[in-house]
Amino acid sequence: MCFKNLPIEFDEQGKAYLREGVRNPYTYDTKSLATDDDKLRELLAKNGHIKSVDFDPVTRVAGALSFHTVVDINERKVLSANSMATLFRGYEVILKGRDPRDAIFISSRACGVCGGVHATVSSEAMEMAFGLKPPPLGIVLRNMLLALEYLYDHPLHLFLLAGPDYSQALVETSNPELLARAKQTLAPGANLHGYSTIAALMEDMNPLTGALYLEALHMTRVAREAYVLLGGKYPHPETIVPGGVSTTISLQSFNEIYTRLAQFFDYSKKVVAIWDDLTEFFYDANPLYRQVGSRPKNLIDLGVWDDPEAYDATYQHLSEWGDRRWATPGVIRDGELITTRLQDINIGMEEFVEHSYYENWDDYRFKTDPLGAPLSPYHAWNKETKPRPGGQNWKERYTWDTAPRWDRMTVEAGAYVRLWNTAAAQKLPWNRYLEATGSSLRISMPRAKMPEMELEWHVPQDWNAFERNRGRAYCIAYTTMVCLDNWQIGMDLLKNGKTRVSTEFELPRRGTQIGAGFWGAGRGYLSHHLVVDNGAIANYQINTPSTINASPRDPWGNPGAYEEAVMNTPILENFSKIEDYRGIDILRTIRSFDPCMPCTTHIHVDGSDHVISREINTCACGLDD
Amino acid sequence: MTETRRVFIGGVGYTNLRDLSVGPAVVQELRRLAWPDGVEIDDLSPGGPIAAVHRFRELPPYDRVVLVAAVDRGRQPGRIYWYRWDGILPDRDEIQQRVAEGVTGVISLDNLLIVGGYFAIWPPDVILVEVEPVDEDWGPDFSEPVKTAIYALMSIVRRAALAPLVGLATDPATAWEEMPETEHADALYDGTEA
Repeated sequence: MCFKNLPIEFDEQGKAYLREGVRNPYTYDTKSLATDDDKLRELLAKNGHIKSVDFDPVTRVAGALSFHTVVDINERKVLSANSMATLFRGYEVILKGRDPRDAIFISSRACGVCGGVHATVSSEAMEMAFGLKPPPLGIVLRNMLLALEYLYDHPLHLFLLAGPDYSQALVETSNPELLARAKQTLAPGANLHGYSTIAALMEDMNPLTGALYLEALHMTRVAREAYVLLGGKYPHPETIVPGGVSTTISLQSFNEIYTRLAQFFDYSKKVVAIWDDLTEFFYDANPLYRQVGSRPKNLIDLGVWDDPEAYDATYQHLSEWGDRRWATPGVIRDGELITTRLQDINIGMEEFVEHSYYENWDDYRFKTDPLGAPLSPYHAWNKETKPRPGGQNWKERYTWDTAPRWDRMTVEAGAYVRLWNTAAAQKLPWNRYLEATGSSLRISMPRAKMPEMELEWHVPQDWNAFERNRGRAYCIAYTTMVCLDNWQIGMDLLKNGKTRVSTEFELPRRGTQIGAGFWGAGRGYLSHHLVVDNGAIANYQINTPSTINASPRDPWGNPGAYEEAVMNTPILENFSKIEDYRGIDILRTIRSFDPCMPCTTHIHVDGSDHVISREINTCACGLDD
Repeated sequence: MTETRRVFIGGVGYTNLRDLSVGPAVVQELRRLAWPDGVEIDDLSPGGPIAAVHRFRELPPYDRVVLVAAVDRGRQPGRIYWYRWDGILPDRDEIQQRVAEGVTGVISLDNLLIVGGYFAIWPPDVILVEVEPVDEDWGPDFSEPVKTAIYALMSIVRRAALAPLVGLATDPATAWEEMPETEHADALYDGTEA
């Protein structure tokens, strides 16, 4: 029984049904935000130490994100937070009426980092809709491609986007006492990363000049090259098709990929040691850092990397093939894994627009999923994207993002949720390098220049900004070894002559088909829901990790994950005058989620179909480096 | 060309954003033409400025780089402007922000110039050929003025690529339409045909 808020129960066979006697199971009352907003205005007017602090735009994130906070400088607390996606993502509108196959290439453009995974998830949605099972090598190649995409994403976030928040250049400005301590603190992982003190490590995290910054730039190239060897092009491959991939591969291309992948063996060990050392240093320096970016342990992920023997693309077997993934799907509530069934995750997810620049929709078409389980009117297969541009108003609407909720609960998406679900579920398929213990994930790293060793990620005691980054560091090791495992499976398939990489299909021109792709971007949870009528897209809905994390308040007034984490963040920055306040703790919190907003690349102009591609506002209110 | 030299022609722009996609479209057309040895042509949009940095750093330096793109600089829509890049970089915070944008998928001529400039991949001679966009909506087609300008863009890029290395004027910006037809080819250069 995984649902607490939705009236969904399960019979003895595990089939979901609506609890009897509930008259309007999905209706709700919307809580007004007016009272809270009025109180804040009063506090702001009466107290000089209570300030509005805006981060517009939040720099060093992908895409356009702004953040509004109200801060009590004396108490060093955040009183209120609003997350704003400032641009409209129009892909759902653009795709309507098109040939479904266009969705692969168009939705890929939703992101300049995660284009490959959007294309893949789009293809999976079609596989489900049209009944297509890719051949094993097609599935294996897809697994490898998306592992390589994550190996591009994680280093760039850890050292180019979030990393500078922990650099000497920044820490000496925001908390000079920490840097003084760092100079005296020996780094426990020195034998792996090569830095004798934490201060030396911080120095090499300096933007533009630090060796770790520059190394991460290089590693993005290594991952990109490996991706291109398989996928032909990055970030928008044209080799992703429903039923597999259209690339031609050989033993030679596999060998060339291996030479790139092998560079991540030692890099993984180094990065894990760096983020272990940084995290523990901050905790030791001030235990309050454990509260920076903290929020309830409510997390969600769809899982990634399909077992080539298990994945059949059908909704009927959704939860079976989902459970066989190298990263197990799941929902964690208050730190406990409550389900790994993809069907539960699918039927429990809704999107609300009360505080977004969209109109609600009136009717809904699909009362149940293909297995007969109840579906909400706010489920993706029923959702309609109806833009309603308007003015910003904290009491009413303030973002182009929606409020996705699972079981009407604020959840968080992220690469690290893969670790947590997989560790807790202990459902890994047979593999060579990973072991889930229930409370940790052990990763066997092969020898390169450094000796072979086991890395072990533990389910964290505290959930905060530091653990997000630490988890992402372990994800480099995790991803590398999943990729190597798949590389070995792929080699075996090649050697045995099983070289087919795709399944042919014909687009049905009549009738209605529905499908969904369930996977994860570098930042976590990614779904595409598709409805096809007579060969054309009738509805297409994309739910990204940043849609989930950057969400505004929901109809019940509950904040989104960024908002919640920022409001729980103590202000530990060292400043004497408000003019000197830079907001580093808030920015560390926001960036720890690895915000990725390019899926909101286009802004809508009221009364027209006009869109523009890039809108950057500048404001000196926050920390802008 | 009478000397052996290395020239790179690069297009910059998004795909399927109408006029903003003109850079890649122009280089695609330019590839169909015959070129002397030493001239390379490619779209620098995929992978962004960091991919360009990685690429250029592995190669011997170019003598000249010509970049073509649609860029909104608040000028007259549909007009073509070309000039030599001044090579001035913003402060480090701004450069870091441009790197962050580059690795996360923003495609922009200015980002390419700034990031490439910081990592020292550009020769002293970087010529920018820009058209002021008219239509930035979603879609594969260009606005009529930009569509009409494609031939002129190709012509300017070719001239800029093949002109001798010495004698380039350094006008900050010159509008193609403001010149007599006869001066189009020679306005920026010393008049020596390649």
